[in-house]
Amino acid sequence: MELRQEGRAVERPLVSVVDDDESVRESLPDLLGELGFAARTFSSAEEFLTSDCIDQTGCLILDIAMPGMSGPELQRELKLRRHEIPIIFITASTDQAVRPQLIEQGATECLFKPFSDTALLRAINSAFHPK
Amino acid sequence: MKKTTAPISLAGELDQQVAQQTAELAAANAELKKQLAERRLVEEKLQQEERELKRSEVRKAAIVDSALDCIVTIDHEGSITEFNPAAERTFGYRRDEVLGRPLANVIVPLSLREKHRQGFARYLATGEARVLGKRIEMTAVRADGSEFPVELAITRIPLEGPPSFTGYLRDITERKRAEHELRRSEAFLAEAQHLSRIGSFSWRVATDEITCSEQLYRIFQIDRDAQVTFELIGTRIHPEDLSVFQEHIERSRRDRSDVQLEFRLQMPDGAVKYVHVAAHFRGDHGRREYFGAVQDVTERRLSEEALSKARSDLARVARVTSLGVLTASIAHEVNQPLSGIVTNASTCLRMLATDPPNVDGARETARRTIRDGNRASEVITRLRALYGKKSPTAQSMDLNEAAREVIALSLSELQKNRVTLRPELAPDLPLVTGDRVQLQQVILNLLRNASDAMSTIEDRPRDLLIRTEPDDTDPNNHDRVRLSVSDVGIGFEPQATSKLFEAFYTTKNEGMGIGLSVSRSIIERHYGRLWATPNNGPGVTFSFSIPCNPEGLTSDATHASRIPSASDAA
Repeated sequence: MELRQEGRAVERPLVSVVDDDESVRESLPDLLGELGFAARTFSSAEEFLTSDCIDQTGCLILDIAMPGMSGPELQRELKLRRHEIPIIFITASTDQAVRPQLIEQGATECLFKPFSDTALLRAINSAFHPK
Repeated sequence: MKKTTAPISLAGELDQQVAQQTAELAAANAELKKQLAERRLVEEKLQQEERELKRSEVRKAAIVDSALDCIVTIDHEGSITEFNPAAERTFGYRRDEVLGRPLANVIVPLSLREKHRQGFARYLATGEARVLGKRIEMTAVRADGSEFPVELAITRIPLEGPPSFTGYLRDITERKRAEHELRRSEAFLAEAQHLSRIGSFSWRVATDEITCSEQLYRIFQIDRDAQVTFELIGTRIHPEDLSVFQEHIERSRRDRSDVQLEFRLQMPDGAVKYVHVAAHFRGDHGRREYFGAVQDVTERRLSEEALSKARSDLARVARVTSLGVLTASIAHEVNQPLSGIVTNASTCLRMLATDPPNVDGARETARRTIRDGNRASEVITRLRALYGKKSPTAQSMDLNEAAREVIALSLSELQKNRVTLRPELAPDLPLVTGDRVQLQQVILNLLRNASDAMSTIEDRPRDLLIRTEPDDTDPNNHDRVRLSVSDVGIGFEPQATSKLFEAFYTTKNEGMGIGLSVSRSIIERHYGRLWATPNNGPGVTFSFSIPCNPEGLTSDATHASRIPSASDAA
């Protein structure tokens, strides 16, 4: 967990990424770093739940379809455990209909892969500074 | 008398006179006797004739009385002079009730009486008789007023004097009923033949005489009046089927085999019909004949073709729909590496824009971009191979061999995930007919899923069991093999079983797997099934079972047959 970059005393907000896809897990941390965030990646919802990052996570980037517990199920689970972490869903699905549903259920945003870095940044800013 | 002279001669004269008179008397007596005897003879003869006449009359009366037919005689005025017992019974009158009464008033229905009287009068006047000397049918009436059909023959009695007639009548109610039934049944048969488009025929082999039902004429579009010959039939047969037809006829001529033949007709206007002919040989009483039926099955053929076309249309639509699902699935798989590419490239730009530029970081992003690009390409290639136009082929294969190859390919990856592989492959596993590549895809998918399911397990060894065995759980089919992959991973809720096989839910990472939904369709196309069961302990076992030699798939090295692929039937 990188709360400190070398030489900097500033604490970067933690963005946790939960996605079973390796391409996503490999590519996002560096981008998040460039965007000014600290990043942790998990290959499953279960892995995230059993980690020690839940409390420190300021924003959760969450895949929808995963073997085992799905993204929306993790969202429900966190709600049950009273962790109010803002969630940005990301999905490789092409079904546009899921976005309004998820936002209605409390997600900050739902992005469709591949998404641009600006879209991601916009979503994260909404997550950290909700209107 | 001469006088004699002597007195003595007077007495002598008297004697002579007496003697003479006596002689004359005796002669007269004898004459009388003779006449009496003659008269007696005549009388006897007369009596004999009378007796014979009586006997003959009795005989004739007996004939008339015992006749089953009604015999009625009438005089020149039309009054009844004889009315036999049969007539009594038939019409319900006693003889003495009707004697002397006009016939018309007794047995002719009211509505016909005038006509009868006119006809009778005309005959008497002109000698012209429409009804004499032949059998006619008419309606008669009984004593109780009920009318019924009779057959009637009237003759004139050939005697001198005024004319008299004899009528012979027969109650033909039953016959009429039987005729009516016969006509009805014939009409039913004709109608049935018409509805079912079946025409019947008989063929007398010795003379080639062919008798046809109405419907047959219709089927062959032959004029009702035309004589049906093989030559004529030949003109109606489709030229391409003519020789086959002729062969069959010749064969039937020689032996007595039943005929079962389907061929095409071609009508004079060019229209084509399909017919089915069945005929059976009957050789009783020395007549060699075939009795058969011809059915016009054109409509059935056409509707079969239409059905088949509709089916393939439906399959095409379903294919398009499943293609919709498929392209969504492909998009899903490809979007993962694409996302990686876009993210890495974005990162690259940002890294190069810092002051000083982060070249090492940029280099790394470029490397990752290339790798993601390759992943995308692999996904496409693999999916194209699976769903491409080239139809998958069925070969006889060893499932153990195939499994070992997959194990070898994925060993390094499994080991990277600290998975311990335990193969238990049955030594005498029967060969199966199937598509090797596709089945290997399924095995790879199951191995990957099992490995993933254990990726968070730390408290026990990540054991992955892959087992093959003959499968005899199906009572109907013992020629099956089963392959199972068991993990000790996190498992899933029983309710989630169906979700597992949904296209999106199980999309694989790395773009190299094909997902459980695709695996299941591969197995189903091999006429098998794929299912998941939670273990008694932790984890899940995925199994598939396929028949060794599914019907519809023949395994032949030279003639590899098709397993339906997703690109044709749905």
